[in-house]
Amino acid sequence: MTTYASPIGSSLKRVDGPGKISGLEKYAADYYPDNFLWAGAKRSDHPHALIKEIDISPVRNLPGIFAVLTHEDIKGANRVGVPEMDQPVLADRKVRYKGDPVVLVLAENKTVLQEAIDKIVIKYEPLPAVFDPEAALAENAPLLHENRNDKNLLLGGRVVRGNSIAAMSECDAVAEADFQLPWQEHAYLETEAGVARVDEEGILAIIASTQTPWRDRNELAYALGWPLDKIRVIAPYLGGGFGGKDGITVQGLLGLAALHSGGRPVKMWNSREESFLSSTKRHPGRVHYELGCKKDGTLYAMNCRIVLDTGAYASLGGPVLALAMEHAAGVYRIPHALIEGFSVYTNNPVGGAFRGFGAPQVLAGLEQMMDILADKIAWDPLAFRLKNAVMRGDETGAGVWMSNSTAIIPCLEKLQEHPLWTSRQAWVSQAPPFKLRGVGIAAGLQGTGYGPMVADIANAKIELLPDGRFRIYSGVADMGQGNNPTNVQIAAEVLGQTADCFELIQPDTLQTLPSGSSAASRTTYSYGNALKAAALQLKERILTRACNMGMGLYAEDFLLSSGRLNHLPSGREIPLGLVAASMRPEERVSIYSYTAPVNRYPDKINPDIRAAGFPHRVFAFACHLARVQIDELTGEVEISDYLAATDAGKVLNPQLYEQQVQGGAVQGMGYALWEDFKLDRGELMTRNLATYILPTSMDVPDILSIAVESVEESGPFGMKGIGEIVINLALPAIANGIARAVGQHIFKSPLTAEQLLLILEKRAAE
Amino acid sequence: MKIAFELNGIKQEIDYLPDRRVVDLLREELGYTGTKEACGSGECGACTILVDGVSKLSCLMLAAQLQGRSITTIEGMSPGKKLHPIQQAFVDKGAVQCGFCSPGMLMATVDLLQRNPAPDRQQIRAALSGNLCRCTGYQKIIDAVESAAAEMRDKL
Amino acid sequence: MSQVFLPHTLEELWTIKQENPAALIMAGGTDLLVKIRDRKLPPAVILALENIAELRQIERQDGEICIGSMVTHQQLLDSPIIQTQLPVLHQAVAVLGSPPIRHMGTIGGNICTASPAGDTLPPLYVLNAGLELKNAATSRLLPIQDFIQGPGQTLLGSNEILYKIRISIPAPHSQGFYFKVGQRKALAIAICSMASLLQFAEDKRILEGRFAWGSTGPTVMRFPEVENTLIGEKLSPIILGRLGQSMAALVSPISDVRASAEYRRLLASKLPLKIWQSLI
Ligand SMILES: Cc1cc2nc3c(=O)[nH]c(=O)nc-3n(C[C@H](O)[C@H](O)[C@H](O)COP(=O)(O)OP(=O)(O)OC[C@H]3O[C@@H](n4cnc5c(N)ncnc54)[C@H](O)[C@@H]3O)c2cc1C
Ligand code: FES
Ligand code: FES
Repeated sequence: MTTYASPIGSSLKRVDGPGKISGLEKYAADYYPDNFLWAGAKRSDHPHALIKEIDISPVRNLPGIFAVLTHEDIKGANRVGVPEMDQPVLADRKVRYKGDPVVLVLAENKTVLQEAIDKIVIKYEPLPAVFDPEAALAENAPLLHENRNDKNLLLGGRVVRGNSIAAMSECDAVAEADFQLPWQEHAYLETEAGVARVDEEGILAIIASTQTPWRDRNELAYALGWPLDKIRVIAPYLGGGFGGKDGITVQGLLGLAALHSGGRPVKMWNSREESFLSSTKRHPGRVHYELGCKKDGTLYAMNCRIVLDTGAYASLGGPVLALAMEHAAGVYRIPHALIEGFSVYTNNPVGGAFRGFGAPQVLAGLEQMMDILADKIAWDPLAFRLKNAVMRGDETGAGVWMSNSTAIIPCLEKLQEHPLWTSRQAWVSQAPPFKLRGVGIAAGLQGTGYGPMVADIANAKIELLPDGRFRIYSGVADMGQGNNPTNVQIAAEVLGQTADCFELIQPDTLQTLPSGSSAASRTTYSYGNALKAAALQLKERILTRACNMGMGLYAEDFLLSSGRLNHLPSGREIPLGLVAASMRPEERVSIYSYTAPVNRYPDKINPDIRAAGFPHRVFAFACHLARVQIDELTGEVEISDYLAATDAGKVLNPQLYEQQVQGGAVQGMGYALWEDFKLDRGELMTRNLATYILPTSMDVPDILSIAVESVEESGPFGMKGIGEIVINLALPAIANGIARAVGQHIFKSPLTAEQLLLILEKRAAE
Repeated sequence: MKIAFELNGIKQEIDYLPDRRVVDLLREELGYTGTKEACGSGECGACTILVDGVSKLSCLMLAAQLQGRSITTIEGMSPGKKLHPIQQAFVDKGAVQCGFCSPGMLMATVDLLQRNPAPDRQQIRAALSGNLCRCTGYQKIIDAVESAAAEMRDKL
Repeated sequence: MSQVFLPHTLEELWTIKQENPAALIMAGGTDLLVKIRDRKLPPAVILALENIAELRQIERQDGEICIGSMVTHQQLLDSPIIQTQLPVLHQAVAVLGSPPIRHMGTIGGNICTASPAGDTLPPLYVLNAGLELKNAATSRLLPIQDFIQGPGQTLLGSNEILYKIRISIPAPHSQGFYFKVGQRKALAIAICSMASLLQFAEDKRILEGRFAWGSTGPTVMRFPEVENTLIGEKLSPIILGRLGQSMAALVSPISDVRASAEYRRLLASKLPLKIWQSLI
């Protein structure tokens, strides 16, 4: 018998590695079916206008054009979105942002496609447009969606604890600031892509780069008026998602195209420019904070007002706001708090899900407030955080109950004893000429799962194949985070197998079971719980069957190992294929449905906010440290060192865990310093990767990661979600470091070199 | 136009539009979808291939330019069954997440290690600076290149 | 579909050019193909220079270095002649684009694109580079600052190509510097750049100082009247700071998506101090 190393906790290699690095893995963008047509949209060049006339006559007879479609060709409701279905597949009466698709063209090749898109003439009657969410809330602001009671307010609400207004006046120190947060573009490398076809039986099959195959299917059925049971959505490995493929991107257009292609396959693959134009972004916003504490360092009162610009359509703008409000008090106990939130329609691009889901915006503000306030009472910023940080059983200032594993204090302590922190003064004082140095920290949290918005359910399915191997039917799309390879690790642990005993089926509404979205730090948590139970059930079935077959008396006498059953008393080895052969197909399949727990919530929060997902039950925590060096001559910021201490429960795979920490931190660094998505009256100024600045390998440092492993009882093997907490703290940690270097906080991000140099110059002049 | 070139060691003679991009020729015409496109304008490196051994961007090359050249794509990196040591290192060191940047990163790494078999981390960062990755934060890619370089030096 | 020609000799090139007067010259294609994709140029017959071997050489003849227009940035980077004799140019190509851009892009393309942000231009301005332009019949030599007229505008004749770049080797005891500020450390278009060539006397006093600014006006700019104020001075932060102030008053930057004019002007005033920063 070979010795068996437990896969859980080991850096088991990702099983998707070899396919991806050999170029053989097929992403949605890689499908070029025989005889396919290209589909592409003509998009609005007005931010807000009535469509007066669509003239497709110039292209009707263009050679190479197969079909030209408008909203009139759509049989269904022509609306997608969740939870609010307000986004047309093709604009009907009016357009609401520059980029709204109006006409869909099917063509033999990309050249004619472009020619046709250019030649189609759309006559518009421009309407007054609104680009600022505060202005959109004004009484007589132009309305994006006319029939809503709340006008341009998609979602608004408040959380009230105690009496923060009165309490604020009882504080010994109060700080107040207004933070301005930018859009952030997901900029996954694989832009939105897919292929679709309707077969002889009328099945509309779509292979798309999507985080939400099951939800897509529901939305498509509704929008296109095609029967749900005749729609199949397949989600191969994604070339990145980060929330930007949480929901319909090209799927609506693709489905529509396929319904009008005479049975031919259709393909869409957005150019980078079209991706920037049409995809959702991280919500920009304004976050106003007033934070007060007592002389002894106890936080006492907080007022927070959050305004998010959700753009032309709802997308996940409601739930993002709810999550922002839930995280607005961060990891601190604050007895008196008022949190107001507004998610507002404007004629800007659509705000949607993006890793962190509202938390990065509020934590950016709050964590800078913590530094400002600490300075006011002359406290060490880390000690100030430790003094106020929650423990299990506490409530945060937002009234969120820390009912489960809570290890923010150990995270802070890890930082406190780390040389990057303890030696900071020496490091700062050794700044070379023309350089300024500062060290900043930030702490925060991130909920795992959906919260009480929709039930967070995963349905796992695993099969023992006739040859004794196993097949896992992954229910949740893998956008790169490695949840599906982790499924192998989980099943391998339960079933005593090595990774090569498994094959993986990627999410496919025909073969795998509905398990929700690849989102909300839930992918491994929810599906992993389901899979673990399904695998356990299958294991019991295999052992029992072996007894059935007379191979032993007691199930406990067997041990499962790679492709085999070992009968311990006799030392006999039985190939798993032998047992499989005696099982009926339905016995060889095990399914298990898992529903993630939520904390039901009493009062304090108004029902709309609760319905948008407030609060969560399980949280991950982290504390980040950034050492920054600023060039006084140029304003350029270099992140010299970076440390992340994270509590995401037990680490199932240290390598994948670090992948998340490093990748998330760097995406956060982009948000902090470079990614300045610019719009001018709804018009995109940063159209592509030449002007929207992502960090390259030269711009970021190596990242030190410390795992603080609490045990989350509700998570599979003690884990909780790691995918999002990693991005939340780079901006405030870096901003705090910069503030210490420059001597002043900067409230508008990203903290570009330009802003910094202008500030340095102004300070020098004073 | 007839274009004769060598693709991953195999002679090709194809009839193709001379002004179409090499990335389209590879992906659409020849089915080599390992070469990715993520910007179409030189900014991301996802479409990197080797042209006579040198890393170049197939989104900024015209098919006609292949005439008489020898090119390598990710599909040709490990002709046998065994992975190339750089590919192996990418898998072992966790350099791959979504993997969409990986083919380009690998091609850039081959170019680097031909020029400099013993790069330090800063040199690796510089050599990969034309290849954007949105998932990894680059660190494990640098780890992988460092480890592959050591491994390949040992073999010499 | 458009035709693509890849002549192997200049003779072939002239014939093709004559038969296709509207043909676009392509060097590495890193500017041209991006412009065609962005539809800033219409699709046209392409005349690629990459197979013409005589355009690919770096030669040293007496006191002059002669760089073929099709020499790639990588070739410049790898060339010991450039590294030792023209460090200011060497520093510039080291920070140009990214490795694959340097493998493809050429010095000739960088010049003919005539972008004020082009990284080889400020060095070529301080080196007083001469450009040899050639057509089927004759050739002529123009100083780079005469050749470049404005953003994307040059004196290239419709039947001409840029043939070679001729640079006199700087006097002994010269030191070259190139600094560029972009939005990030690689794949960065200059927001402001500065090349400098300083010639020192035995006693470290400046005999001649040349400075060229990129991205701060319609073309790369030099201000001889300010340069002259350095003569006889010793390098110091004060001198360099003062120089920066004077220059900043003269440049005429614009605001665009990458940076404001105000930031660019401020950078122009600070970049001379980078020389000091790099020396200490
Ligand atoms: C992602 C990316 C990053 C970049 N980064 C930088 C950067 O950091 N710094 C920088 O300076 N540039 C940068 N560039 C721009 C470009 O790479 C350079 O300007 C390069 O030097 C252009 O050379 P090329 O050979 O590719 O020119 P091409 O694109 O082939 O040609 C450019 C123009 O010059 C003309 N031309 C070229 N050669 C000749 C000749 N011999 N005679 C007559 N006309 C000629 C062409 O007709 C065309 O109009 C970048 C480009 C990209 C795509
Ligand atoms: S696709 Fe070629 S560089 Fe991005
Ligand atoms: S692994 Fe996803 S872009 Fe690099």
